[in-house]
Amino acid sequence: MLKKLTTMAMLTAVALILFTVEAQIPTLVPIPGIKLGLANIITVYAIFALGPLEALGILLVRVFLGSVFSGAMVTLLYSLAGGLLCWLAMLLPRKILTKQQIWVCGVIGAVCHNLGQTMIAILLFQSLTVAVYLPLLMLSGIITGLFTGLCAQLLVNRLGNR
Amino acid sequence: MIRTRTWVIIIAAAAVVFALLSIWMLSAKQSGTIAEVIQDGVILREIDLSLVTREYSFTVEAPDGGFNIIRVQPGRICVSEADCPDLICVHQGWLNNQGSPIVCLPHRLMIRLKEVTAVDAVSH
Amino acid sequence: MAKKAVCLLFMLLFLAACGSSPASREHSADFFAMDTYMSIRAWGAEEGLLPRAEQLVYRLESELSVTRDDSVIAVLNRSGSALLPDDVIPLFETALNLCEDTGGALDISVYPILQAWGFTAEEYRVPSETELASLLESVNYRQIAFDPATGEVSVPDGCELDLGSVAKGYTADLITALLRDNGVTSALLDLGGNIQAIGTKPDGSSWRVAVQDPAGQGYLGVVNVADSAVVTSGGYERFFTDESGNTWWHIIDPATGYPAHSGLLSVTVIGKSGVICDGLSTALFVMGRDKSESYWREHRDFEMILMTEEGRLIITDGISDSFTPAEGMTAEVISG
Repeated sequence: MLKKLTTMAMLTAVALILFTVEAQIPTLVPIPGIKLGLANIITVYAIFALGPLEALGILLVRVFLGSVFSGAMVTLLYSLAGGLLCWLAMLLPRKILTKQQIWVCGVIGAVCHNLGQTMIAILLFQSLTVAVYLPLLMLSGIITGLFTGLCAQLLVNRLGNR
Repeated sequence: MIRTRTWVIIIAAAAVVFALLSIWMLSAKQSGTIAEVIQDGVILREIDLSLVTREYSFTVEAPDGGFNIIRVQPGRICVSEADCPDLICVHQGWLNNQGSPIVCLPHRLMIRLKEVTAVDAVSH
Repeated sequence: MAKKAVCLLFMLLFLAACGSSPASREHSADFFAMDTYMSIRAWGAEEGLLPRAEQLVYRLESELSVTRDDSVIAVLNRSGSALLPDDVIPLFETALNLCEDTGGALDISVYPILQAWGFTAEEYRVPSETELASLLESVNYRQIAFDPATGEVSVPDGCELDLGSVAKGYTADLITALLRDNGVTSALLDLGGNIQAIGTKPDGSSWRVAVQDPAGQGYLGVVNVADSAVVTSGGYERFFTDESGNTWWHIIDPATGYPAHSGLLSVTVIGKSGVICDGLSTALFVMGRDKSESYWREHRDFEMILMTEEGRLIITDGISDSFTPAEGMTAEVISG
């Protein structure tokens, strides 16, 4: 139990670091929401290595602390929406994916993360205009999800279950 | 159990679909698609051509009693009928991006695309 | 294969991270204060700086708002005297100087008249001539006794003050100072339509600030500015129409007690100081075109854009290069 908690704490710390470091990188594209989502590597890894509930715990703590560190409450809403939808979306495929297909989960998660953020934006802005970016965000989700998914895959292959 | 190859195909197909959708959606926004119908210097109507889904027409009556019938289709606009003597406005055809407006001199009517210049703030 | 791909991507990431710097990050804050929507966009601001700016606005609002029972101004109006907090003293001093300099065209003691017309509570009415005549006796900024060294201010019975015509401009100046002191070199403030630019845009180009057309939905034109305040005043912002069809707006001529009809629909003042641009935009509106031109010639430390009731667009030559009129409009240039 203690070992599991320690592992979770470590993973949360790593996720936070990834989140904060990524926030320092200037956005290449002038479209809100296009980012690598590096912290999701941890979420994907945790779902497969530890379990969905543990992954949820890590996600929530990381999202809250990340918003505190970045200083803007709005970040909290977006990260929460994106992260939760990402987590939810990864639960189902988990059952039907093999150990070698974890990267697929990354793609699904990233796409849903962006979907979640767009939905919150629509709610906050009270307008559908933001939806114009949806196809591009979905595409970006696939690409970044591929990257984060592969990273998570590597981690699981190397580290196994702990 | 879905084979890895199947996943790759699904995801690649989705990527292509989204890429195409992005190009289509974002290019539609880029061009200045708001047409202004101006008579005697007064803007009678502003029509966002990119939001038009069905064709429709409306009539603009000139101060001297004449008329121009303006036809609006998704993405374009023209003068379809008029009672001015030379019908130049009708012969100009569909309004295009090149900048020259459709003009009916006798009726002092002009249709042009709105200049979309971004401003950072509005003082009011 | 996947390993190599990941390594390559990580390398690219680190390269990108090396190129980033805090100066390129944009921070923004949007909030509601002083009865209006405000927004701040800043580059090079550290975390927490914009929230501090926001708090600064709320603090000023609590000190200056005439409608809040516990503000310094409300206390002054109720009891006839008050002690101004340190951050309000410079504002008060500047406001009084402007009243003096504009010959009373700006008069911060015009509040009772504003109330009589119903602008404060939005219960509009047209006061009678006698009512206005008697209220006018209390309207005279010279009656205000103010000691800038101590902050003590007192007004006679019946005299009530309202700093609404200078508050937003002053707030913008304070925010500008706060941001500049903390290393911000590029920012744009929009405080309910009072625009203030710090530096240029991050890429070095000027900020493009449009001026609202008082007669319609569009713009009069766009002016390119850097390190300047742009403040517009016009009757069109708040007015009502009575049963006879007359239009009455909220910019009152302190000499007559009636809404100022000097032939102008809107005045935009561009300059270094937000509070001065704010006060001047109101004063020049009251003064009218000719007196505004004289005032400008005497001072020459600001530029202005005037829109007259006849539809003439007039600008001063200091912005003849940086101002672009809207389609179909021509600007007449006043040269100094």
